Amino acid sequence: MSYLREGPGPYCKGCGHPLVLRALDQALSSLEPADVAVVTDIGCVGLADSQLATPHTIHTTHGRSTAFAIGIALADSVLGGGRLKTIVLIGDGGSMIGLNHLVNGALLNPDVTVIVHDNFLFGMTGGQNSAFTPVGFVTSTTRAGSFVPPLDLARVLLAARAPFVARTVTGDRSLPELLERAVAHPGFAVVEVLELCTAYATRWNPLTGAKLRELAGEAGYELGVLRDEPRPTFASGYRERVGGSEGERPPTPRPARFAHRLDSPVRLVLAGTAGERVQSAATALARAALLCGLHATQKNDNPVTQGTGFSVSEVILAPEPIVYTGIERPDVVLAVSDDGVRELATSGMLDRIGAGTVVLADAEVSLPSLAAEPRRLPLRETAGPKGAALAAVEAWIEQDGRLPLEAFHAAVEARRAEAA
Amino acid sequence: MGVATAPDVDLVSGNRLTALGALSAGCRFFAGYPITPASEIYRTMMEELPRRGGLALSAPDEISALAACVGASLAGYPAMTATSGPGFCLMIETVQYAVMTETPVVIALVQRLGPSTGGATQGAQGDVLLAEFCTSGGYTIPVFAPSTAAECYELTRSAFEWSERLRSPVVLLSDKEVGMTLETVDTAALAAGARPVPARRALPAENDAFAPYARTCPGEPPDFAAVGAAVRVVATGSAHDAQGRLRKPSPEVVDVLAALQAKIDAHAEALGSAHAELEEGADTLVVSYGISARAALEACRRIRARGRRVSFLGLRTLFPVPEAILSDALCGCSRVIVVEENLTGLYAGVLESRLDGRTLVRVNGLGAMIAPARIEAAVEGQS
Repeated sequence: MSYLREGPGPYCKGCGHPLVLRALDQALSSLEPADVAVVTDIGCVGLADSQLATPHTIHTTHGRSTAFAIGIALADSVLGGGRLKTIVLIGDGGSMIGLNHLVNGALLNPDVTVIVHDNFLFGMTGGQNSAFTPVGFVTSTTRAGSFVPPLDLARVLLAARAPFVARTVTGDRSLPELLERAVAHPGFAVVEVLELCTAYATRWNPLTGAKLRELAGEAGYELGVLRDEPRPTFASGYRERVGGSEGERPPTPRPARFAHRLDSPVRLVLAGTAGERVQSAATALARAALLCGLHATQKNDNPVTQGTGFSVSEVILAPEPIVYTGIERPDVVLAVSDDGVRELATSGMLDRIGAGTVVLADAEVSLPSLAAEPRRLPLRETAGPKGAALAAVEAWIEQDGRLPLEAFHAAVEARRAEAA
Repeated sequence: MGVATAPDVDLVSGNRLTALGALSAGCRFFAGYPITPASEIYRTMMEELPRRGGLALSAPDEISALAACVGASLAGYPAMTATSGPGFCLMIETVQYAVMTETPVVIALVQRLGPSTGGATQGAQGDVLLAEFCTSGGYTIPVFAPSTAAECYELTRSAFEWSERLRSPVVLLSDKEVGMTLETVDTAALAAGARPVPARRALPAENDAFAPYARTCPGEPPDFAAVGAAVRVVATGSAHDAQGRLRKPSPEVVDVLAALQAKIDAHAEALGSAHAELEEGADTLVVSYGISARAALEACRRIRARGRRVSFLGLRTLFPVPEAILSDALCGCSRVIVVEENLTGLYAGVLESRLDGRTLVRVNGLGAMIAPARIEAAVEGQS
């Protein structure tokens, strides 16, 4: 049974697209149409859907056909029966827009065959030049002949490790066999077919079907099967390295609970330097509260850099559910580095310190005049830069007396065990 | 005086609960690309989805990520991606494709300060209209806005439920402060309360003349058949008839387009969700959503503690605008204060035409969470 509809199609006389479609029809003859998904791009090549009678067809957006096809093929091969053969029909224009998806497909290696219909220009929109236009080629936007060299897509995709790469011309009598071989390949296969656009290319250039091979030679394009090698597919790699149905994780055993004496919310700011375990010290405090049956929130702030600049955590501990997670007026400020203090000055937090705010600061940190008298401790000297934040939290818990230190130690220990 | 709480309380972020909510809703495919402040969703799905037999994919960019999700969904697998404003901008072409092809997909959009790359580690609520009106033609995309970590779980589940039911993209709109802040949450209670999300309405098995965009019930999406099913599936982002054939606008093509909106409109009331604390005799209603709803609720509670009446409406559904919930809350109020973390009051602009002569007051902010004190001042500023 033919994959194609009978009757006149949408293509100009002499256009290469229907020749490729007929070759594809022969190439697919041994497959069940229900097991074939044809994903088309935009442009004249995208009109192919209307010519296909039996397989699934998915007409997509410009250049993105390969990206949709990757999703279909990976889902089918990993989550489904893996029977589907996914075929992308794309032009030279779409191949440049979606070059990333072609490269990604070559790297991932899903069961997708991409047929690139390269007629050297944009046919549907008036014959404009594309990234595939050869030097000297006349298009509606390169009237004096293109002077920018064309993209050698096959070489790009060879470099991207595509396991099957071929390039040929529409006059190639073995095109059906070539396409059948590409589709049969279990991984990512690309066939670039050089074609005539009889609406524009042959009107402005001395080009005929017979001259396509000559043009390929001038462009330095090798023709034929450039690579046909087995390579593990994404699905096989995924099953081996990642997948499996281990089910949900068993629930973490809940450690012992501790008693506390907190009867109103505490709003605490911990300010230090990124990479010095500020946020993990704050998390240990919030978890200690959790172990006491309290509610807690931890709002973190840092610049986009990962290991430099400030790191600030705002922790709220409360006997009741916490509604607002910000801190308008801090009850406690723990300042463990100059980076942290500078950020508190910038954000206005230092100005919101009141007479009742407890301020604990490292002995070396520069502090402006504050509404509350800071208590100075040699945190960095005794605990080191990476232990200072934890030491500050511990010092506050001890001084404050409403939370048990054992809860904090248990939270720190649980965190270490998780990290290990 | 230790307070006894449920045994399975955890310290967990909204982003993590977005991922866990997706898993509990039956998400089978995730494709992600790193971006602050959404990366934790991506990382969590990479860790957790394969364990449950699903597929989590590292995409080379956001366009590829959403396209892969749409591809997987066309093949029948509920799918999600997660991003922030800059990534969402890249996805818009594919969001429109999902609207046009009626493909379910969930996009978790964790907002950060914009425009452009803006502030990666700075929260904001600037994408609310971008998320909704990113489609040519303004077709309604359901948008849910959690304000707590627990709501991230619940509303991600709602996003899947409605995405599958309506065959539409759905946006879960959180922000840096909702997504990344850690909170104590009773995760066991959340999971225990989660009902299974029904599968999308499948094509009846005996159907052999399948028209992929024909509707058997008005106001409902077409029956679904997966790419790879026994019947031939035709999907297209171009204007099409009920058979999926590319056509110049004919009455049938216009009907297919109108049905994209009609299926959302038909379920608009059921899509609505909010946390309302309405007080008899209150002249002022404070409306907010997302992270700002927490400041607004805090402000309202403080005001009430001082003996003044004030009503609060925290919207969990932003689009379609929950008209019934809104008109109920507006009843008896002469003044509406809309609180949101963007420069001009984006959602206030949406509500403005619905206020029927009531005074609209905007409380906006940029670069930091809005403090309850500012909202209190706005409420108290006028008797």
